Amino acid sequence: MRNCKTAQRQRIFFSFAVICVMTLGLVGRLAYLMIGKADYYGKKAKEVQQRERAIKAERGVIYDRNGVVLAGNKPVSTISVIHNQITDKEQVIRVLSELLELKEEDVRKRVEKKSSREKIKTNVEKEISDKIRQMNLDGVMVDEDYKRYYPYNELASKVIGFAGGDNQGILGLEVKYDENLSGQDGSILTTTNAKGLEIDGATEDRIEPVAGDNLYCSLDVNLQKFAQQAAQKVMKSKNAKNVRIIMMNPQNGEIYAMVNEPEFNLNEPYELEKKNVTEKEKEELLNQMWRNHCISDTYEPGSTFKVITAASALEAGVVKTTDTFSCPGYRVVEDRRIRCHKTTGHGAETFVQGVQNSCNPVFIEVGARLGVDGMYRYMNQLGILEKTGVDVPGEAVTIMHQKKNVGAVELATMSFGQSFQLTPLRLLTSVSAVINGGRLVTPHFGIRLESADGTAVKKLHYQEKDGALSKDTSEVMKTILASVVSEGSGKKAAVSGYEVGAKTGTSEKLPRSSKRYIASTLGFAPADNPVLLAIVLIDEPEGIYYGGQIAAPVISELLDDALPYLGVERATKKESSDGN
Amino acid sequence: MENSEYRYRNNARTQSGRPRQQVRSANPNRNRERTVFTRQYDFALLFLTIGIALFGVIMIYSAGYYTASLQNNPYRYVKSQVFSLMLGIGAMIVVSMVDYQVFMQKILNTKITLVHLLYILAIFLQTIVLVIGVDLNGAKRWLRIGPIQFQPSEVSKIAAILFIAYAVYQKRRDLDHFLGFVRIMIYMSPLIFLILLENMSSAIIVMGITFGMCFVASKKKGYFFVIIIAGVLLLAAVIFFGEGFRLARIRMWRDVENDAGAFQIRQGLYAIASGGLFGKGLGQSMQKLGFIPEAYNDMIFSVICEELGVVGAGLVILAFLVLFWRIVVIACHAPDLFGTMLCTGVMIQLAIQVVINIAVVTNTIPSTGIPLPLISYGGTSAAIIMVEMGLVLGVSRQIKQK
Repeated sequence: MRNCKTAQRQRIFFSFAVICVMTLGLVGRLAYLMIGKADYYGKKAKEVQQRERAIKAERGVIYDRNGVVLAGNKPVSTISVIHNQITDKEQVIRVLSELLELKEEDVRKRVEKKSSREKIKTNVEKEISDKIRQMNLDGVMVDEDYKRYYPYNELASKVIGFAGGDNQGILGLEVKYDENLSGQDGSILTTTNAKGLEIDGATEDRIEPVAGDNLYCSLDVNLQKFAQQAAQKVMKSKNAKNVRIIMMNPQNGEIYAMVNEPEFNLNEPYELEKKNVTEKEKEELLNQMWRNHCISDTYEPGSTFKVITAASALEAGVVKTTDTFSCPGYRVVEDRRIRCHKTTGHGAETFVQGVQNSCNPVFIEVGARLGVDGMYRYMNQLGILEKTGVDVPGEAVTIMHQKKNVGAVELATMSFGQSFQLTPLRLLTSVSAVINGGRLVTPHFGIRLESADGTAVKKLHYQEKDGALSKDTSEVMKTILASVVSEGSGKKAAVSGYEVGAKTGTSEKLPRSSKRYIASTLGFAPADNPVLLAIVLIDEPEGIYYGGQIAAPVISELLDDALPYLGVERATKKESSDGN
Repeated sequence: MENSEYRYRNNARTQSGRPRQQVRSANPNRNRERTVFTRQYDFALLFLTIGIALFGVIMIYSAGYYTASLQNNPYRYVKSQVFSLMLGIGAMIVVSMVDYQVFMQKILNTKITLVHLLYILAIFLQTIVLVIGVDLNGAKRWLRIGPIQFQPSEVSKIAAILFIAYAVYQKRRDLDHFLGFVRIMIYMSPLIFLILLENMSSAIIVMGITFGMCFVASKKKGYFFVIIIAGVLLLAAVIFFGEGFRLARIRMWRDVENDAGAFQIRQGLYAIASGGLFGKGLGQSMQKLGFIPEAYNDMIFSVICEELGVVGAGLVILAFLVLFWRIVVIACHAPDLFGTMLCTGVMIQLAIQVVINIAVVTNTIPSTGIPLPLISYGGTSAAIIMVEMGLVLGVSRQIKQK
């Protein structure tokens, strides 16, 4: 070719060859992407193209021990709008703001927002959502949903707790068993375009939700009601700050009732009595309102702790029931003069009488005989220094002297329940071991979990430790505590027809000068084989503040109601009067 | 050979009027008795070009339907593209019928030819676009004259091809030395600089055209490879020390799956990977439904992959290779060096665009906005490429075969 010379020809062919090599490389790259990476990117593409609509799993129901619903679900709806599907914007805004009682401008803002899906309101009552559904407005979606519902409002509110709108436990058992109760949300995957509009005829992938497990707990609605009424009554009559009651089975740690009066309405957990508060104050007040004082707050147990001291001393063998003591109304420990509550003194008395009289000098002596090592050894054995492990969050731990700092004065005050703090539940659990033959149980609410269809049942097990005390000591203690009711300071805890054991207590709140008290009594029945152990704490009562005077009658009232309910037969009148 | 070429050129210069005649009259000294001349208009190339463009229209319809529907104008992109293509095909046929040597004709006894005028026009358009250009997506790349809106950078490409072809035709031997190459680069630099101000991609293409055409024209290879190596080093330097905008692109390229800026490329990759061997079928792309922004534009190849699979995409690439091969054949048989260089320039431009476009879409190189020739939506680009094909066809018309 004379016009296009060989050199240029070669160069053109060379260029073409380079182009061919490059395109071949690109074809290779394409094949790699389209065949080699197809699965990887294909999955990613699906993630982008599919819109996931969650199907809320139904939250598990919380039942009491007899199958009464404590926390259930009721159908409600979520109303949302899809911007692109709305045909008559003004009508949608008007209808929604009217029926949902929302401000028009708020609804307008959401309707006009260009998002694939905008929630207008959640937890809409079924009758209202049905009305909206019937209107068949384009672009308005009504999704069925569930709302947590507590049929007994404030009953055992601080124990049961509540769950938020997002199916998440916020307090109490609802938090503790959240994982089991919440179940697994399902989803509907629909193929959509980039604006979130579903494409007709595209396949739908549906993952069914798994409903949460149902929780059966040890609470008993009736016992809880008895306890709550008793607490409300005494709180009103003594104008107390709050009243706490725990009833439990001392044999296995099942809690029948736990009252923290004043309770709050679980269906409106964010409603405060006090209005017009700042956000921070509100948070503070809510936390205060939700607080389970039986578990999260410690107090000085006072004389009720003498049960522990007495049991320890008997177990250690440093004291016998027949040992005699003398009470002049005080006792000098090192440079301190520690008074007995009876300033004139109890005079000469046996150990049993000392317990009946709740005599401080007797316990100072017994404590001294036990010594620091003995005291701590038995406190450890009875679990006083540990948390109980109750299945509700927020348990407080005992505030106790460090062993190495305990001198004679500290030991003396500890022996009659002062200078340290524990929770009511801690005390009650340790006392359970004293009266059940020495078995340290774990107090608890949860008994079993059942899958929604009832096929899978999971029993909940709790730690139990035998040998905290010997059986003999336990028998002796039951007798002594029964005599506290029959002959001593706990007379007012007596119930006709039952043999009751009890120990009263009056704790002076800190600072001592404030003259504020917690009156308490713990009691159990039947004394020889207890099926029920209860404690009552009256915080800052007005007027008479002695536990034996104001708390013991509450125990009596509770046991009087609860024992027949629990199927314990009442002895005939004659026998009972003998017992007393 | 060298001599005859020069003689031919001198002949062309000494006599104005009808260069084609002179080609013929220059021929008698060579093998006349053994040669039978037939004109060889390359219809295959013509139909291949129109075929690819029609395929492009179908794909623009498919890829753009969703976006266009949202604007209540489902045929918006198709209508606009078809209009430009009709203009372009008309221009292509007219250009192919005119002897391409007309571009080398002196105007009114001055030294100025049409090539010069076109070059000056390109410079002028690139300058005024900087001032009165229409700002789209943050860059002034468009000129609006009445109802017509076009990209001057596309005009610059064809101007560059003609200009370099003419320069090579004038002094081919200069290219055998590095300085000759530098001289052409100096000629081109004002244009490239002006394009670079608003449109890096087009500047890259014009640079590529210049480089490629000079490479083909030269007898010496050495310095080109030195330049290539230097270029690669420079590129590496940019990758490592680059700043701002460029660096962001490199980040996008490396981290295509997470980088926010790589959204378009990432969505394109999803589309490509969803294609498989035979694709989802024409019109069945999911990713064009708003996931790939402007799927009918630079990213159209990803939609082709999704709908037609490896096989469809491979056939598209094959069609381009056949097109290039036709141009190569015409270039080699062109009656003069000017024709050879014209064809070479057109092929280089198309090849650069095809390779870079597909490389970008497959995230083989950092992203830069280059349309797929004849297929991507874009009226100016399509019409100008049609004109360029007209030039090539015009060259083919003058091929004489035995």
